[in-house]
Amino acid sequence: MGELLDYIAAYKIMKKYKINAAPADYVSSVQDAIKFAAGKTIVLKVISKKALHKSKCGVVRLNLSKPEEIKSAYAFLKNRAGKLKLKPYKILAQHMAKDGTEVIIGGKTDSQFGKLVLIGLGGIYVEVFKDVALRLCPLRRYDAQAMIDQLKSKDIVAPNPPTEKMLSNVLMKVSKMLQKEDISEFDLNPIIINNNKYIAVDLRFIMA
Amino acid sequence: MRPKYLNLEIMMKPRSVAIIGASQNPDKIGHIILQNYVDSGFSGKIYPVNINSQEPILGLKTYKKISDIKASIDLAVIAIPAAAVPEVVEECGMARVKSLIVVSGGFAEIGDTDLQEKLVQAAEKYSIPLLGPNCLGVMDPRSRIDTLFLPTFKLDKPKIGSVSFATQSGAVGSTVLDVISHEGFGMARFISYGNAAVIDEVDVLNYLMHDKYTKVIVFYIEGIKRGKEFVEVARKVTLIKPVVIIKGGVTEEGSKAVQSHTASLAGSYQTYEAIFKQYGFTIANDLDELLYYAKIFDTQPLTTGNRIAIITNGGGTGVLATDALYQNGLKVANLSKKSQVELRKAMPSIVNIRIPLDMAGDADDKRFTAALDTLSKDDNVDAMMVIALFQTPGADSRVAASLIHYNTQMSKPFVVISPGGSYTEVHRNMMESSGVPVYSSPFVAAKALSALIEYARYKQALGKHGKNKS
Repeated sequence: MGELLDYIAAYKIMKKYKINAAPADYVSSVQDAIKFAAGKTIVLKVISKKALHKSKCGVVRLNLSKPEEIKSAYAFLKNRAGKLKLKPYKILAQHMAKDGTEVIIGGKTDSQFGKLVLIGLGGIYVEVFKDVALRLCPLRRYDAQAMIDQLKSKDIVAPNPPTEKMLSNVLMKVSKMLQKEDISEFDLNPIIINNNKYIAVDLRFIMA
Repeated sequence: MRPKYLNLEIMMKPRSVAIIGASQNPDKIGHIILQNYVDSGFSGKIYPVNINSQEPILGLKTYKKISDIKASIDLAVIAIPAAAVPEVVEECGMARVKSLIVVSGGFAEIGDTDLQEKLVQAAEKYSIPLLGPNCLGVMDPRSRIDTLFLPTFKLDKPKIGSVSFATQSGAVGSTVLDVISHEGFGMARFISYGNAAVIDEVDVLNYLMHDKYTKVIVFYIEGIKRGKEFVEVARKVTLIKPVVIIKGGVTEEGSKAVQSHTASLAGSYQTYEAIFKQYGFTIANDLDELLYYAKIFDTQPLTTGNRIAIITNGGGTGVLATDALYQNGLKVANLSKKSQVELRKAMPSIVNIRIPLDMAGDADDKRFTAALDTLSKDDNVDAMMVIALFQTPGADSRVAASLIHYNTQMSKPFVVISPGGSYTEVHRNMMESSGVPVYSSPFVAAKALSALIEYARYKQALGKHGKNKS
């Protein structure tokens, strides 16, 4: 199995293909984190190979804007990472996205057929409902549209034509990224959709 | 080099066939195959080969070895114990046999991959196209070729037609063959390719795509060896003709360690299913569905519209049919003004002029004819669903004859629903053998129509004139 790619490296690949992801950076002190926030609301999370499911491990702190909130969250995460023996780990600061519908977009490599793209209702329910659509790369525009149409949760995921169009564009970009880069599997989960905008707030890339 | 798929042609239309392992003993597979060749009226030369005895079999001169036959052999069918097969393939290669079907089992399917590898090497050394091993071979009602080792009296054999059936499994193959023959389908080609050691699913699909006699491809598949090549053919074939596919081995074996949600959500079957959907295959979940779909594709024109006119001589069944339409993404047609006026004149006052058009239990062929005549010309109707309950007082053979007539006249898809016992069955057979697809319930008829429309839409979107080519 391949290597988990560093978060910021994954973020840079996303940028290259113009796929929106929440701005993020590693911070090594409370001051760093406050400086990164610059008055905006942020999220702090522990990045470690020993904690792939960050929210399950309780190593994510959301909705931090005041310096004292950032300070206490930072201390909490250091403590929690220590307790869970997550070393080596880093702390990532990320702009917090507004609430919205959570969607998963991902990719994988099948040994027989090659690379595949997936979309579905995302967030914590993804494994429960398994409402996903899958297609082989390279996607045709028709395929991207058909994937969205196929979802039982289509009216939640893409409630109007502009959102549908936007998601179909993201799928096309993702297909291109998956084909051109040395990625074996990846999750953008969740992607938050709000008011015909989207932003990926968690990235997990596994390289070939 | 010739594309490999072309080599299937010689197996389908050989001028001379050697049957290696032909036997005096009527219980032996080699005997049954030979018997079938003789019985089916195959017009080419037949050469039995048996290493142990050269007594004539079924009156035919029997040879000890393939090399003893001093004539050109288009096809050798091999039905001998597995261990001896690679050497015989080698002999066939030296004797310049043009194609081989290895019926014998006992190779990779029981874990003996080494023996299968020897077989492949021998075939490749002489560049002989080889079907099997562990297969039934081929059947072609046009050339009257039949390599199946199933006694003729046990299995209905299909008439000449345009559905081709390719199958990895011989058992599924013979069952489906029996059922479709019984249902009155016509068949173009039957190919049972077994372990796919040399000629595999990609070659078979490619061959059937190019085959002018094949209008509908029906495929039973368990695995695909050359995934990327398969996809190349898959994206071309459905722009030419429909493919109905059923995949064996759907359930996921155990959970594997995966690192992402995506990998765990996209298992092996999901991947197959996605690819079949992506390239416009019609997926059947069981053998019954396979036949429902094959039947409608074989006999009906395509339409991308989903407005269905239901006419019935039974009210309740009309209601069930309406439900079935909506459960399958279809809808009832709204009649044009002109149709409404015409139908009002033609129907008695107890008949409500709306869809489903319930023509009442005493509806006879005149009422059916009047309704079909009007609705077949209505531009608001994309397809017809006719419920003909033969238990009713008005319905008899004249109704069946009227339906047969409109099925041939109409340019819109047409399905008939006639559930029932022996009286109904007589009429069902009449209609089916005249190319009317008859179903036993509104639900399966709606499913079949829905599959037809879905395929038509795919073809329209991605075909030559489609907007979505990129």
